[in-house]
Amino acid sequence: MADSLLKLDGVSFAYRGGDALQDISFEIQTGEFVALLGENGAGKSTLARICNGLLKPTGGVVTVGGKDTRRVKTSEIARDVGFLFQNPDRMLCQNTVRGELMFGLEFSSVPPEQHAARCDEMLSVFSLDGERDPFGMSRSERQQVALASVLARRPKLLILDEPTTGLDYRECMTIMDIVSRQNAEGAALLMITHDMEIVADFARRVLVLSRGKLIGDGDMRGVMRDRALLSSASLLPAQIPDLAMRLGGAFGEAFTITDMVKTVATLKEEVRV
Amino acid sequence: MTGLLDYVQGESFLHRLNPLTKLVLSFALCAAVFITDSHLIIIGILAAVLAFSAAAGTVSRSLRILSSLGKLSILLFIVQILFVRDGKVLLHLPFGLVITDSGVLFSLLFVLRFMTATLPLALMLAVTRISDLANVLVKSLHMPYSYAFALTTAIRFIPLFAEEMSGIMETQTARGVEFDTKNFFKKVRLLLPLCVPLLISSVRKTEGGAISAELRGFNLRKRNCGFREYPLRVADVLAVLFGVAVILTVSVF
Repeated sequence: MADSLLKLDGVSFAYRGGDALQDISFEIQTGEFVALLGENGAGKSTLARICNGLLKPTGGVVTVGGKDTRRVKTSEIARDVGFLFQNPDRMLCQNTVRGELMFGLEFSSVPPEQHAARCDEMLSVFSLDGERDPFGMSRSERQQVALASVLARRPKLLILDEPTTGLDYRECMTIMDIVSRQNAEGAALLMITHDMEIVADFARRVLVLSRGKLIGDGDMRGVMRDRALLSSASLLPAQIPDLAMRLGGAFGEAFTITDMVKTVATLKEEVRV
Repeated sequence: MTGLLDYVQGESFLHRLNPLTKLVLSFALCAAVFITDSHLIIIGILAAVLAFSAAAGTVSRSLRILSSLGKLSILLFIVQILFVRDGKVLLHLPFGLVITDSGVLFSLLFVLRFMTATLPLALMLAVTRISDLANVLVKSLHMPYSYAFALTTAIRFIPLFAEEMSGIMETQTARGVEFDTKNFFKKVRLLLPLCVPLLISSVRKTEGGAISAELRGFNLRKRNCGFREYPLRVADVLAVLFGVAVILTVSVF
């Protein structure tokens, strides 16, 4: 069995106003790509903060790499868990992109002699100019700098809180391609998103949260086909799976545009024959 | 969760008072704290403010403010007590430092004043809408609207900035910056770079606020633009008299 990087066992959390999470249990293994879905206010961001120790559960146990988050400092958990917030401006605090990446590495377990190489690698991956001022960059570029700073540490688990919000399609794909590559190299991913197209294209497993309860946990295709489950979390399936389900028959298995094109091509061949 | 300086919805007698009365009363209580040299009177004023808070349904918030001020007060107390050398020496410390009876009394008075003077203003903000405060400053005190707006915006921005700072610290902790360290000096050193994102975000928020105010005709606003009236009632007169009585009492004793 693969290593369990993150384990939540009967986790509950309450703010002053009331319960935010109730009895949540799941595990994430090395190399998984998990999407966390749910309506606004379902508790997704709270759950993400529970997963890296920023919030301590009021009930149940959260372990990251076998360490109970209640007994370990958040800054120590951060050595294994990278967290990208929605707002990159809360992360950026240095005058240059290079400075920003080096600042992030300063608090990591990466040996100092490797910092410059890691920094150069990330500048190259994201095609960023290391001498630019991050505060003079566009929202998308600032988001990329923040992500580069997180990825430079090579975290075992990467938590992304709506990383593509406010980005256009090209910028969104740039970020998704990079995080997919990290995932292919072994990092586990937990991504909060409202974008069902991204879920259909990239995620392999989906967690569905509604009003603080985990109401769905399964492989992406199964969840995407479960209209009742998605509907109870105020979600709709992505357009291609939705179209495929409506067409049925040979289209039933299509989940991406590539799948759909292949199916149409096959049917065209069959008609020709 | 509401911030420590936000308005708290309510229907108590304090909520219903004229905003100007609340402003006058809170300043009177603050002034009384600085006029008197008696520890007991300051404790009495503190108890009165807490009783007002209880009546307004904001006592838990007042206690939270006191608790937050308490940490700073301990630091202030220690600094004060070490630098007052008058009076009878109670304790000799290394490096020639002494603790005297006057030092203890003065430090205690200093800390009590600090904590008690903060509460009436916080209570006034808890029971007064910022917009009402701005309107009454313009209508009754004839303050230019731009000044009243600047004052109330500054008050409104305090909790926003506190929330932003808390968000920045959370983000930085998530990337491994050790804000959860117990070493005070290390924490302060780590906090310094965070002034940059806070400053950037403050400038962006202020600029956004200024643009939207301009678009809504900020410069067209005159003293008589507000439709709400703030008449003085019997309760307001009694509250002001109470404030004057407190000032007179502490001046005599």
